Amino acid sequence: MPAKPIDLGPMHFAKRGDAVAYLNAMLHRYDLGDKVSASDAVILRAALDRHPDAGVKIGCGITHFSVRTADFGTRCFWLNRPDGTTEKFSHTACVYGT
Amino acid sequence: MSLADLQSWLRDEGIRDDLDAITWMTVRTELDNLLPEANEVVIDWSRLLLAGSILARSAERFDQETALRIATAALSLSKDQAICDAGAVLLGKLSNFRAVTLARQRNLLAEDLEGRLGVALRLEAQRREMERSILVESSGAWLQVNDFQQRFWNNAKGQNWLSASAPTASGKTFLVLQWLVDQMAVGSAGIAIYLAPTRALVSEIESNIARILGKNDSIEVSSLPLREKFDSARSGDRRLILVFTQERMHLLANILGDDFNVDLVIVDEAHKIGDNQRGVILQDAIERATRANPKLKIVFISPATQNPEELLTDAPPEIETVAVDSDAPTVLQNVIVADQVPRKPKLWHLAARQGEALLPIGTLELPSKPDGLRKRLAFIAAAIGQRGGTLVYANGAGESEEVADLISQLLPATVDIDPELAALADLARKGVHPHFRLAPLVERGVAFHFGNMPSLIRLEIERLFRAGKIRFLVCTSTLIEGVNLSCRTIVLRGPRKGMGHPMEPHDFWNLAGRAGRWGDEFQGNIICINPQDKAAWPTGVPQRARYPIKRETDAVLELGDELVDYLDHRDTPDLASLGPSDQFEQVGAYLLTTYMRIGSISGASFAKRHDEASLARLDRVLGDLASKIDIDATLAARHPGVSAMGLQRLLETFRSYSGDVENLLPADVASVDSFDRFVAIMGRIHTHLFPAFGPENVNRRYAVIVVNWLRGLSLATMIRRNIEWHQSVGRSYRLPALIRDTMDLVEQIARFKAPKFFSAYMDVLHMHLREIGRDDLIEHDLDIGTQLEFGVSSRTLLSLMELGLSRMSAVALYEKIARDDLSKDDCLVWVAERRDQLEAMDIPLIIVRELRERLIPLDDHGAAVGEQT
Repeated sequence: MPAKPIDLGPMHFAKRGDAVAYLNAMLHRYDLGDKVSASDAVILRAALDRHPDAGVKIGCGITHFSVRTADFGTRCFWLNRPDGTTEKFSHTACVYGT
Repeated sequence: MSLADLQSWLRDEGIRDDLDAITWMTVRTELDNLLPEANEVVIDWSRLLLAGSILARSAERFDQETALRIATAALSLSKDQAICDAGAVLLGKLSNFRAVTLARQRNLLAEDLEGRLGVALRLEAQRREMERSILVESSGAWLQVNDFQQRFWNNAKGQNWLSASAPTASGKTFLVLQWLVDQMAVGSAGIAIYLAPTRALVSEIESNIARILGKNDSIEVSSLPLREKFDSARSGDRRLILVFTQERMHLLANILGDDFNVDLVIVDEAHKIGDNQRGVILQDAIERATRANPKLKIVFISPATQNPEELLTDAPPEIETVAVDSDAPTVLQNVIVADQVPRKPKLWHLAARQGEALLPIGTLELPSKPDGLRKRLAFIAAAIGQRGGTLVYANGAGESEEVADLISQLLPATVDIDPELAALADLARKGVHPHFRLAPLVERGVAFHFGNMPSLIRLEIERLFRAGKIRFLVCTSTLIEGVNLSCRTIVLRGPRKGMGHPMEPHDFWNLAGRAGRWGDEFQGNIICINPQDKAAWPTGVPQRARYPIKRETDAVLELGDELVDYLDHRDTPDLASLGPSDQFEQVGAYLLTTYMRIGSISGASFAKRHDEASLARLDRVLGDLASKIDIDATLAARHPGVSAMGLQRLLETFRSYSGDVENLLPADVASVDSFDRFVAIMGRIHTHLFPAFGPENVNRRYAVIVVNWLRGLSLATMIRRNIEWHQSVGRSYRLPALIRDTMDLVEQIARFKAPKFFSAYMDVLHMHLREIGRDDLIEHDLDIGTQLEFGVSSRTLLSLMELGLSRMSAVALYEKIARDDLSKDDCLVWVAERRDQLEAMDIPLIIVRELRERLIPLDDHGAAVGEQT
């Protein structure tokens, strides 16, 4: 199967695996509890828009992204909404759409 | 023959047989479940009593003990009034007036002793009583005291440093507290700090002082390090006694900055200046208070120590010093060894130890065969100490629960449970867990006791043990670490201190010395099981020994090159390579801060005790470290035990941080990212400041505790959530261990390591934020150290604790209060409006009692309900 290129905001990846690796590296560049920087947030927002449940996840909007604990000692990206609610999302699901 | 020769002859030969006979008889009256033995000895009382009065004049402990034995035997064994009277007179000669009072209470002494004494004896007795009285200036009352107490009182006058040392049961604490309150009442001091080594002792001392103060509202006692109370006392409104651990004193000094200045410091359990890791924090606290007020008066108190004067060697040159030392016994302490009768596991030979010799006392019969060491300890304790007041020493919290459980099974089932025991069981079930093992045990009059228990529960256990309702108390080394609790009988087998180290003789005697409640009993019993077993007692049952006081700093400084090597490698990017560092880190931090403050440790007060060459080597390596440090000495001094080199490394980490600096800040516990930020902060501390925490998976566990603690969750809720977590991830657990583990994490992480290192982290971060012009990120709320010390983050909870509630009570009440921003007055109003509904709120009775005592000072008839106002 030929590699599928993917764009996340300003970033272009030759194949989807590269995008996941890039987001993985981004995830681990932060400490737990950190707010994601503005430049990374642009890429994350673009990724999130590709998420199969993007509409539900985004809800009333996004103030910022964070890196926080997920289940069983793992970490993942979280989005924070203006109403104070917060929700985690899988960056792999953003790239592969499942 | 000189008097000393006569005394020695009497003891060793002259009255030996009679002495052995009365020892046999008096000791047997103390022990339960002995097989009967006949005794045909006729005592020559007049000869013995004459010998007793000669021995009473000796300064030797052994002679004084012998005189006390004779007096006690005369009072308790003889039916002849004249002999009993003579026993009482002999006690008077020993200045042991409390024992005379006890004899009267027990009807061992007929009324009107003075009337029966001849004129000469009566005059002598009255003279002695007058000589042995002290004037409490604030009340004008005369207090009858023993020799040690009198010397303390007379020498404590004036602006000197005093170090007092006497065995347990010498009435030290009682007298020092009387003296302290008297000093405050007559205005000799405006603000005093009483330093105690543990939170347990802090709560106890605070309650005792409040009891002595009664309705005296010109003096306030508090254990909270808050500026408001301090400022109010400085402005002259009320005088203030602060009861603190050394850590809490540093917390107040940090909050007050240059305003920190007190008039009087009392250092209780002062020999702990030699404790590994905490000794240096105490020394630092004393030096910090002295720097703030060079005219500060300090009183050190320690149990039987060899060299109390050692504590005075760092007094400023212009300050006078005086040591008051006593080794006199106030109550008989019988050391009894128990060995199994060959082939008969249910029978145990008992013998009283007298110096190197053993005096057979009898045979103890156990109801069941004691298979295994725990059963041996439990069965012997249950049999020999059946009448109660029995303390059993266990090596560790887990073992204390097991032994208590075994003892409880040997006691007859009780039909009616005492209401106070039922209330304690209720508190244990609601405050810890419905299946907490303590609850069913206390209903049968048995309890266990260890350091990490919530103080409200522990204090109530101690109170009910003193009151005789808890008859058996199984304790751990917490008791050596500073809890003022005495007993009638203590039972031990191979006692260890901490993680498996056999006890040093002075630790053993600090523990064993609790046997014998002066004024409540004439004798105390120390039962040592299997004295010949080298695994249990590697060096045998220790002979009486007194603590050698040696500062931790001096002990570590004497290690010389090892310390120099450690400091030489302290500036490393890889903290894991520091190796086992606890011992050197604390003292190393102290030395570095001292160097930074005065430019050379050769000028420090401790320098006179060490040789110049090692000080010069240390100066060189400290100078090297100091040259790399931008942290100033004032900031470093705020964090005793934390190395300035570590702080510098942390600062450099902040400086090189490329992300958004806001990410370095902790988040309020109400915020969704609070937990994760604490995990990250612990990681930064662990990697750059000092390896105090662990890898991320460990820090997550710690962060859960820290967040829950700060959220003001009750211990019961934290335990419940811990259980739920285990269940959700399918992990097995044992409830007793899980309960102890949660208590341990609260004490060791949330209340010890986190406040110590988070405070340092915040100070360095604030320095960095100021450097980069981001002062806007610095918040001026309650600092994180204080929040963690008390486990509160809401105004209402803090107000409740400021009003004197324990955290357990404050949290229980806060669950019923909707608002999180109530002031102290608001809280008082809230409680006053519901004063008739408190019992209906499903709050444990002991908590309701504390609420009523602390928050509702007057009952409906206008009389004080509690001891605190």
